[in-house]
Amino acid sequence: MIINGVDIRDSFAEAFPMVGTRLIITADTPDWAMTAGRVTTGFATSVIGCGCEAGVERVIPPEETPDGRPGVAILIFAMDFKSLKTVVPLRLGQCILTCPTTACYAGIEGGKRVPLAKTIRYFSDGYQISKKFGDERFWRLPVMDGEFVCDEDTGSVEGVGGGNILILARSRGQALHAAEQAVKAMSQVEGVILPFPGGVVRSGSKVGSKYKALFASTNDSYCPTLRGVAAASALPDEVGSVMEIVIDGVSFDAVAAATRAGIEAVCAVGSAGGVVAIDAGNYGGNLGPFHFKLRDIMGGVA
Amino acid sequence: MSVVLRLKAPLAARLDLEGVTPAALAGKALAEVEALALPHGGRSVPLGELFAVRAGGEGRLVIEGGDARLDGVGAGLAAGEIVVEGDVGAHAGRGLAGGLLRISGNAGDELAAGMTGGRIELAGDAGARVGAAPSGARRGMAGGVVAIGGSAGIRAGERQRGGLILVGGDVGDEAATDMIAGTLAVAGRFGTGTGRGMKRGTLLARAVPDLAEGFADTGTHDLVALRLMARRVPDLAALIGSAVTARRLVGDRLQGGLGEVLVF
Repeated sequence: MIINGVDIRDSFAEAFPMVGTRLIITADTPDWAMTAGRVTTGFATSVIGCGCEAGVERVIPPEETPDGRPGVAILIFAMDFKSLKTVVPLRLGQCILTCPTTACYAGIEGGKRVPLAKTIRYFSDGYQISKKFGDERFWRLPVMDGEFVCDEDTGSVEGVGGGNILILARSRGQALHAAEQAVKAMSQVEGVILPFPGGVVRSGSKVGSKYKALFASTNDSYCPTLRGVAAASALPDEVGSVMEIVIDGVSFDAVAAATRAGIEAVCAVGSAGGVVAIDAGNYGGNLGPFHFKLRDIMGGVA
Repeated sequence: MSVVLRLKAPLAARLDLEGVTPAALAGKALAEVEALALPHGGRSVPLGELFAVRAGGEGRLVIEGGDARLDGVGAGLAAGEIVVEGDVGAHAGRGLAGGLLRISGNAGDELAAGMTGGRIELAGDAGARVGAAPSGARRGMAGGVVAIGGSAGIRAGERQRGGLILVGGDVGDEAATDMIAGTLAVAGRFGTGTGRGMKRGTLLARAVPDLAEGFADTGTHDLVALRLMARRVPDLAALIGSAVTARRLVGDRLQGGLGEVLVF
């Protein structure tokens, strides 16, 4: 399959089940809401080393937030519910509670409950105030700039982690430009985050290592400086650089939609922009239950 | 089956309707409903002696022609709807756990005492101790919403421990005495001696009430919670409106309480 001179390889992204949740963060200004969102989702690129994967999902206009102030939605994913219950209150307490003017609300209704103020209310040393209307409880924690308002807990979803595309381009500059265009397009899709820096990862990994202690190591098949050296190089001669975009989403469909949006954006850059091919990372199909077949996702386009 | 009860004549003695709910009447023939024994004054009388009974619309109990001696209306209601076209007496909605009780007239004392959920809408005035602890209980209303169009009597929200009481008019003296938690929102005025012994809970007020001793004035603050409540709680939207700041008075400090009065 070739779209605008870009070879869509007959490959698939192999993804895994993750559990995730969404938080709505509001603040007095859009900038402070985004600051809280960015900080809370910082150091959350990969569960391998961060314990969770997180990112800002979207900006929310004041008229759509629970308190009528500017907000952002963030998504946080972990490998299991127990880990999620651990990382969310930690990040809430260190990054949202501390951030000037913020409030934090549940962003998902259904599923198992992930504690928010239920855990961090004790910071208020007995001065915390609970308000419950109907079945919804929120807390008011006296803090130095006023009150931190925070929902009791939030719901969770069984999501999908590790969707991805690999962008193979002639040069590093061209690979990066195509990746940036993809990130822009994919960020418009609701229900997904791109957890790596700026949405892009340049150090894609394979499973395992020659060193026994390591679970993952550099994806040598896609390292341009190892062409002809690594056991099975996947790079033709004209490829000088590869960028990967990893996608975590609240559902298979959300990840598929983001994958398609990303591929479309990369193909719009096209061979004229130095893009050679789009590939995807997988482990042979036996490890992850979710397969995003690039050609199926782009079906009907070429 | 749903039922319409029409009071045949003004009651000569108090009548207790506790337990006469849509769920209790479900599956009963009209003759069985008429045969239900109700405590009336010092004796027990069949329902059919006092009410004309007929089948009505789906899923609810309608009482036509209320009476200030009609006690315990909607007491123990857990699901479904009871509509009263007229007044009710004492203990309406006592221990109400779910469903809707709508009263077009006035209510007597202890409306919603011990209520735990559901909703009561009263168009007229309520008597004393709305949402208080029922006889023999230590704690008052724990959940649900009571929306009163008119005014409420003394000690509204006494020992209230949850839920929302909304009063369109005024409340009498000593509101929120020994309040444990929950919210009492008053569009009109409070009486004297408000909040004595308040432990927790919130009073929403348009002007600073005459408070019991023991309240600390923390000043006026920009409270995000006001914006949240105005949007998330439809019953409070009109009262709070676009207010974003409130004066916060905390008490009853004489008893170590952390209740609050928010004046906006």
